[in-house]
Amino acid sequence: MASTSKDNVQASTSGQGNPADDLEPGACPESVLNPSDSFEEFASEMSSSLQERNINLKSKSSTISEIQSEICDGNKDNTEITSTKSSDDLQSKDDQMSALASSCNLSNQNGEDSDNEKDDYLQSPELVNKEKHVFVLSSAGKPIYSRYGNEDRLAGLCGVIQALVSVVEDQNQDILRSIITKDCKAVFLVKGPLILVAVSKSNESETQLVLQLTYAFNQIVSVLTLTQLNRIFEQRRNYDLRRLLSGAERLIDNLFIFMEKDPAFLLGAVRCLPLPEKARENITNAITTTCHKIRDLVFAILIAGNQLITLVRMKKYTLHPSDIHLLFNLVRSSESFKTAESWTPICLPKFDATGFLHGHVSYISEDCQACLLLLTVQRDAFFPLSQAKHTIAEKLRRSNCLVAINDALNRNQELPTTNPLKHIGIPEIRHFMYKCKSTAQLFTSDPISLDRLQDYRIRHKEGGDVSEKKIEKLSDIDYVRNYRKFCSKIHCTSSPAKLIFRSNSDDTVLAWVTNGFELYVTFDALMEKDQAIKAVDRLLRWIKREEQRIFIMNAPTF
Amino acid sequence: MSRCDFKIVLLGSEHVGKTSLVLRFVNSTFNSGTPYQNTIGAAFCAKTMRSNGKDFNIGIWDTAGSERYEAMTRMYYRGAHAAVICYEPCCLESWARLRHWLQELRTVEEECKVYLCGTKKDLLDSGMVKREVPEDIVATYSQGLRGHFLTSSKTGENVEELFQKIVDDCVADAKLMRNVEEMRVQLLKEEEAYKAKHKEYCNC
Ligand SMILES: Nc1nc2c(ncn2[C@@H]2O[C@H](COP(=O)(O)OP(=O)(O)OP(=O)(O)O)[C@@H](O)[C@H]2O)c(=O)[nH]1
Ligand SMILES: [Mg+2]
Repeated sequence: MASTSKDNVQASTSGQGNPADDLEPGACPESVLNPSDSFEEFASEMSSSLQERNINLKSKSSTISEIQSEICDGNKDNTEITSTKSSDDLQSKDDQMSALASSCNLSNQNGEDSDNEKDDYLQSPELVNKEKHVFVLSSAGKPIYSRYGNEDRLAGLCGVIQALVSVVEDQNQDILRSIITKDCKAVFLVKGPLILVAVSKSNESETQLVLQLTYAFNQIVSVLTLTQLNRIFEQRRNYDLRRLLSGAERLIDNLFIFMEKDPAFLLGAVRCLPLPEKARENITNAITTTCHKIRDLVFAILIAGNQLITLVRMKKYTLHPSDIHLLFNLVRSSESFKTAESWTPICLPKFDATGFLHGHVSYISEDCQACLLLLTVQRDAFFPLSQAKHTIAEKLRRSNCLVAINDALNRNQELPTTNPLKHIGIPEIRHFMYKCKSTAQLFTSDPISLDRLQDYRIRHKEGGDVSEKKIEKLSDIDYVRNYRKFCSKIHCTSSPAKLIFRSNSDDTVLAWVTNGFELYVTFDALMEKDQAIKAVDRLLRWIKREEQRIFIMNAPTF
Repeated sequence: MSRCDFKIVLLGSEHVGKTSLVLRFVNSTFNSGTPYQNTIGAAFCAKTMRSNGKDFNIGIWDTAGSERYEAMTRMYYRGAHAAVICYEPCCLESWARLRHWLQELRTVEEECKVYLCGTKKDLLDSGMVKREVPEDIVATYSQGLRGHFLTSSKTGENVEELFQKIVDDCVADAKLMRNVEEMRVQLLKEEEAYKAKHKEYCNC
């Protein structure tokens, strides 16, 4: 019953004799990303008491209004900007709100099925034998999101979940965190007016599951803002949030697939598109020279295939990796950005959960699948930003940067970063992933191509079932699955491991964390430890040599 | 800094077919293969059209029908020359939302020319779906408006006609055209000024 993460500890040792302790590939004095570790945050989330949790809910000051007032200070004669509200509430009128609320009591109809029917539904093929279920409900017990099946028909289950959570809170003054059975973990997270639950048969740890639920919560905040979410339920505890989330379920669906496959989530880091230093510099310059006069622009972000190409920011402000992940998820999940320039409100929960930024989102050109996001605090800025985008695209084309981006995206075989293991010549290493801690950036030996991710997505749609099938060729995705348990030992708050070396007849895994980096390597089976450490040393030196190409090594501002 | 002569906004509840209408009109395509994806925020498209022997740039805002963007939508129809409110004849709910938009436009944008558009005509014609919105009610509502069209983005029926009517109506509006001309002249001036400045800079 009780959750312990140490049941399956294998031979693990604390590290010393580090061959490359002074090496810190990818580190640079200033980072575009906020390197604060999400694991610490989640650890504190997990250990907080009921009282602390309720205090944490009070929203912090708004970064967006801070930026707006700053712009206005230097721009007093421009009344147009001052009139922008700090948070553009989607539902600002109260009467509108209650009209919405009163017309949404449809969902109870199905909740009145007989108990037998409800039970039958829980046994239906739609729901049974899934590797991981996710449910989101309101604290009143109304279903909001289910990864599988139809929420309406899950009203009964949601009622049970709500009862469990509130019994523990009311009677024991405690927080229900998890229920663990032989083959299944149920993890609970109460955040604001929502209850989020993951029921998983995967090997993900409790912390990793909480991390995923927090991402799901942030995804909801990202389309509504925390202010609006709280207000809706303050005004009407029974509100059916699905009305406001329609179309956004897709984002949550994709987010979970993405989180299960991409090590970026596991490590709280962002992957960069490897590019020649000069090319990245040109791209960044094209953006800064075009945008430096646009005052309200907070971030200009160029991404391709879930990888960051460059990020230019307003002085003083950085982005948290988890906000970037939400942007990756948004872009990847939305085909419509490919057909037209979009203008959309986006809330970045870590940056400012209380308000919206406004984003001009568009692909650079038809022959280059890089997506440019220009995020501003000014809601009327579409046309200047559209103009800026076209100028930037033109500059990139003229300086041959589009070719460089395409080469990297198509994983041109001539690039050293396309197949690093072959390039370095360490045949005994099968796979590695490296995170530079100070910049929250990530590099792996076999990044998942977008097509492949798409593949997984389609397969997942049909299934998501627990499978025992043996996979023919291992890739990033499969190695990541394997790294999970090492990762949770390294991030364990009570007694974190520094170096883990585990060798068996399938493979050998080395996980190593220093002040500067985290490294996970899979070797052939039955590797000797000193041999492995020698190989790791060569690997680190190679990453160091290529760091300018692999990582973003500066923190440009407008 | 819009370089469009006319601003047109598409309104209507989710899934009625606004994005499909724009894509048919601008790209002459219809994606029946890909599953429906709701629009996020709003999308902007531009196209050049001819009316009265002259070319005009029209900018189209395709807004998201989802209720969560409702308050945002106001900023798209602000200053719009024309609005197309879409509904699905086979979906009563979409008609109820249409009445909401009509009211909004009447109070907020009096100058805006309003058109009604019943979408997915091909489905109606094939008998696959049943009409839920009675024709006489549509007729009553269209009376005070600039026109009513039944379109199909799948076949393209009436799509070109709808937008051509809008542009023709705009061109025929003397007051509107005076503003458009003024805008053009001003933009030209700005561009000249910019070019002059740029040249100077380059010569240095
Ligand atoms: N048969 C047929 N299907 C259509 C037609 N127009 C749209 N559809 C389908 O209706 C669905 C919704 O179309 P969209 O154009 O995405 O709807 P929308 O109004 O933009 O929706 P939101 O962006 O959510 O506001 C899609 O699956 C389209 O393929 C049509 O003329 N005929
Ligand atoms: Mg649409």
